[in-house]
Amino acid sequence: MAETVVAATDVTVRFGGLVAVDHVSLEVARGELLGIIGPNGAGKTTFFHALSGVVRPTSGRLVVAGDDLTGRPAHVFARHGVARTFQTPRVFRDMTAEANVRFGLEFAGRGRPAGRDAFADARSILDFLGIGAAAGVPAGELTPARQRLLEIGMALGARPRVLLLDEVAAGLTEAEVESTAALIRRVRDELGIAVVWIEHAVRVLMRFVERVVVLHQGRKLADGTPGAVAADRDVVEAYLGEAVI
Amino acid sequence: MSFWFELAASGLITGGIYAVVALGLNLQYGLMRIMNISHGEFLMLGAYATWLAYTVLGVNPLVFLPAVAALLFLAGLAVYAVCFRPLAAGAPSVEVFEARSLLVGFGLMFLVQNAAYLAWGADLRGYSFLAEPVELGGARFTENRLVVFAFAVAASLALLAVLRFTLVGKAVRAMMQSPTGAQLVGVDTATLHPVVFGAGLALAGVAGALLSMVYEVSPSMGEPYTVTALIVITLGGLGSAIGCLAGGLLLGLVEAFGMHFTNPSLKMLLSYGVFIGVLLARPRGLFAR
Amino acid sequence: MSPRRAIAATLAAAAAVATLPWLTSDFALSLALTCVMYAGLTVSWSMFSGVTNYLSLATAAFFGIGAYVTAWGLGTLPYALLVPTGGLVAAAFAALFGAAVLHLRGAYFAVITFGLGELVRHAITYFEKTYAHTVGRVIVDVPGSTAVFLTVLAVSAAAVVTALAVRASRFGLALAGIGSDEARAETLGVGARRTKVAGFALSAFFAGALGAAMAVRWTYIEPNSVFNPFIGFQTVLISMVGGAATIAGPLAASVVFSLLTEFLRLQFPYLFLMLLGALLIALVLYLPGGLASLAPAVRAWLARRAAGDARG
Repeated sequence: MAETVVAATDVTVRFGGLVAVDHVSLEVARGELLGIIGPNGAGKTTFFHALSGVVRPTSGRLVVAGDDLTGRPAHVFARHGVARTFQTPRVFRDMTAEANVRFGLEFAGRGRPAGRDAFADARSILDFLGIGAAAGVPAGELTPARQRLLEIGMALGARPRVLLLDEVAAGLTEAEVESTAALIRRVRDELGIAVVWIEHAVRVLMRFVERVVVLHQGRKLADGTPGAVAADRDVVEAYLGEAVI
Repeated sequence: MSFWFELAASGLITGGIYAVVALGLNLQYGLMRIMNISHGEFLMLGAYATWLAYTVLGVNPLVFLPAVAALLFLAGLAVYAVCFRPLAAGAPSVEVFEARSLLVGFGLMFLVQNAAYLAWGADLRGYSFLAEPVELGGARFTENRLVVFAFAVAASLALLAVLRFTLVGKAVRAMMQSPTGAQLVGVDTATLHPVVFGAGLALAGVAGALLSMVYEVSPSMGEPYTVTALIVITLGGLGSAIGCLAGGLLLGLVEAFGMHFTNPSLKMLLSYGVFIGVLLARPRGLFAR
Repeated sequence: MSPRRAIAATLAAAAAVATLPWLTSDFALSLALTCVMYAGLTVSWSMFSGVTNYLSLATAAFFGIGAYVTAWGLGTLPYALLVPTGGLVAAAFAALFGAAVLHLRGAYFAVITFGLGELVRHAITYFEKTYAHTVGRVIVDVPGSTAVFLTVLAVSAAAVVTALAVRASRFGLALAGIGSDEARAETLGVGARRTKVAGFALSAFFAGALGAAMAVRWTYIEPNSVFNPFIGFQTVLISMVGGAATIAGPLAASVVFSLLTEFLRLQFPYLFLMLLGALLIALVLYLPGGLASLAPAVRAWLARRAAGDARG
């Protein structure tokens, strides 16, 4: 049995009267490539907010690498190895791309092992992502697609145990989605970190991940291999005819 | 008995003015994120305009009230066009706009206040209007204070009615709740923003005109009212007009009773204490859920 | 310029300025003192507020607290000890207050810091009236003008050196990240709360120390003069004019402004303040990055001219 890097138990997030995440439990194993899908408003992003400490769950427990971090602030999650990207890229616009990656290295990633030489410093992380040429460019001047890559770089700088990716393929062309997916797979393969990937574009995701969790109206509807989940009647119904495969 | 009545009434009278001053500012901040720190300066202009009209032209201050509102409304349109429209166009984010508009507000404060010093000097000005005392419920008030209270409450209620029942009012309330949503259903911010900014200044001007009937007028009279308005907004909650009215009256009472039980020189200390206390404990206002 | 060289340059400049008491008239020295004081205040302000975009108007509060430390302590403690004490008291106050209010952003933070200054002013006024039965305090037994000048210079130079060191440090990077996107910085491991409180307190230390050092300049101090909100506004204004995100910008602007203030404020007090207001508005509208944002354009122009000269 592989070691568990993140364990969420019965996590519920409530905003006023609205239940965004409803008693969701999830264990992510080391080196796993996991996808989370679900229709709009299913609570995917809110669940990510809870997993990364950005939002404090109303109830439930969050354990990262054996430490109970329930209710702790986001920077504690980051220092325990939870790194993430945001749906709309949030880079430090006035800093250079290199400084953006160095930011993660200086704080969350400080004192944590690099894993491989290819991730030893900001420059090599940018090179790995294929945007080394833009190292000196202010992040705000990069194209949205490159800002998404840079965000992955910032998260890698934090030297995570688990990488949470929130719709990194949104707004990309077909070819760009393919290359991003390949990149994410390489990150997992070469660093052995767990990747949890939310995507609205289900088709690509299903091809790349090893396990899929379906959220619907805040609840976990299905959890299994892409093949098994795609055959699940409840899932097909939840998408109301949206082609899953 | 009549003593307590008099104390409470005098608190409510002051509070009524506070509500009018705060309503204007709250409208501006709630709708446009303009924390206009020079709000009190426009109150001061309203007071001077009324004083001038009375002493130079002999116009009855109450008759002149609509003119003050119109003058300040026009001033608001001008200030919005010169300062805040270009600022909104050039700011990359709401936070940046907020910080910059605050600085512009400070600039306006310096500009307007010192222009008033230059024009009218530092002397206290005043005039006597309806200064006869009357008996009411066993307590004695000067007529002008009662008139001021009546007009302050009337102005506040009128604004509440406008917000609640007219199309413009509904648009303003919609904008405060969801700017993008309101824009989607066709609220025209390009006209709405300057109009609301003008209305805010008009309210400040009306408050100043009312104050000039009771108190002396000076170039620095506005500043304390800006601070008071901020306190009232904090008490009542951002963007809440009804909270503003309640908060204003409440603060008037707190000041009246607080000064009675402690020490008049504690007035400002008390106000700031309440302000900071509420900001810390309930940043969304006393009446927020 | 590398941080090391910038610090060396600062120290060299401070050493040069330190010779002024022996070279100039009393009048020029008092002008220089105002310049140096505002240089220290603006640099320490932009060290925190300029970088994080938490617009603080509490400078007057910290300055006044420092001044009152001197007013109360002079005669008991030596001047040289009162200056850092004033700084520490202001920093401790800022840390306490900051821990309570630094979750507020935008106009709220600015307004509450302004309210803080007024609150402290009224509290001290009340305290002095009730318990010491006085409005202000006469300061006797003050150090000479040379000693005061050198002390203020030392504090201001320390502020500049600290600002340079902070900017080059991890702490400075954390502050910049908070200014750019606070929640993002948190998810990358920055403890935003502690960082902000520390930055706010550090900035307050210098304002407090300057207040403590300057208090002896006035023979009579009262809350209305040392907690003058004008000090806070002027500090913000100068930093904005110079470019709040830089160090050299506010430094240069404080010299220009102090001179203007000294000459114009006495001659045309109202007109001067009107001008100041108009300038602030124009600046925010048309040059929000401050004069420092013109630097690249000027440098490019100079380079073009130099290239032209070489060719011609």
